[in-house]
Amino acid sequence: MHSDILTSTFLEHNRQLKSFLLRITASAEDAEDIMQDTYIKAAEKISTFRAESSLKTWLFTIATNLAKDNLRAKRRWTEDVTDKGKAAALTDKIFFSEAMHIRMTSPQGAFEIKEHITFCFTCIAKSLPIEQQICVLLKEVYEFKVNEINEIVNTTEAMVKYYLHTGRAKLVQIFDGRCALINKEGICHQCTELNGIFNPKQNHQEELNKIEMAKQANNPDKEHLFDLRMQIVQGIDPFESSSAELQLHHYAHNTRVMENFLKKSEV
Amino acid sequence: MTVANISMAQNGKATTTKTTFSRETTVSISIQAESSIIWSLLTNAADYPRWNSTIIAIDGTIAAGEKIELKSTLDTTRTFKLKVLTFQPESLLVWGDSKGQRTYTLIKNDNGTITFTMTEKIGGLMFPMYAKYIPSFDEAFEQFASDLKTEAEKIMKTK
Repeated sequence: MHSDILTSTFLEHNRQLKSFLLRITASAEDAEDIMQDTYIKAAEKISTFRAESSLKTWLFTIATNLAKDNLRAKRRWTEDVTDKGKAAALTDKIFFSEAMHIRMTSPQGAFEIKEHITFCFTCIAKSLPIEQQICVLLKEVYEFKVNEINEIVNTTEAMVKYYLHTGRAKLVQIFDGRCALINKEGICHQCTELNGIFNPKQNHQEELNKIEMAKQANNPDKEHLFDLRMQIVQGIDPFESSSAELQLHHYAHNTRVMENFLKKSEV
Repeated sequence: MTVANISMAQNGKATTTKTTFSRETTVSISIQAESSIIWSLLTNAADYPRWNSTIIAIDGTIAAGEKIELKSTLDTTRTFKLKVLTFQPESLLVWGDSKGQRTYTLIKNDNGTITFTMTEKIGGLMFPMYAKYIPSFDEAFEQFASDLKTEAEKIMKTK
């Protein structure tokens, strides 16, 4: 295989790979580092590529293996990460002044509820065991097939099915219990609260009416609501979107909060 | 448990045999799923309440030598402190305490199905004194086996 093909394939899937790595690590810096390591490793190993899978699948395999060794990827967060992030932000004046500065000055500083839904999904998916998190991302966000995922994560199709089913079921359960967008009893209103702070002139109900998942909030089919959530996540590139800088700032905040929490829990 | 007992119980119906000093309940059911899936369901403690309507909670790690705490619908007021006694992946799992042992076995059949069998034997010298206070396990065993079959077969259908 010619290295030109590797480079062109890498560039073609560059954005997907990078967002995948951000969603595993919740760290823009680590995602960048693993991207670079993925290319270096792929270039070193290209002579061993036997085309038994697509080059895209092979690149995701290398990236996944590198990500699994990453400390931030390994750390599992708690289901209530958004509560912990909010509590820490409310006592941290710097957080809101930084965020507001980004909001006012950055071309990628807009706040959109949809983008926050994506951010929230990434944070909560980090509470799953890492195998479940990776399989759910590969299937639900990047649309790999089960037989491709088992190559990427180096396990059997049966185990991929197990990770997908249990990971998805757990997320459906968490969002149903937490997300006030889909459940009146939900305890988390963070996306609309932040919309009130960053977009004070917006009518949040009007904004919610633009989101199909929120419009179908009363639908008892929780699986369908989860599919709608996944459509939102699929449609947003966390590095390129209009609120990328603001959301990356939120990721850095939640990462700090969870690392402090986990450190205290270990003591 | 004898081969005859297994074959009698394979339809998901529980059977109980009693002696003066012990009681043994068994259920067995055929499942169309890979053994790795069934094993993963049986050994993921935190996930039990999601798919198994007879388990309220299992705390701890289900692995060789580990201790777990189990709350079941059989007696919602009690927490059973159990030790994992045998852990042979995709084949045999045993946990228990001084009063009894629960055994799970998976047997691969030629037709690709798995025969899942669950047996609990309780007893001892003091057993006759408290036997009447222990509820029948039959209904809960049948529900456990049915829940496991439903969940494992649903996972196999994941596309």
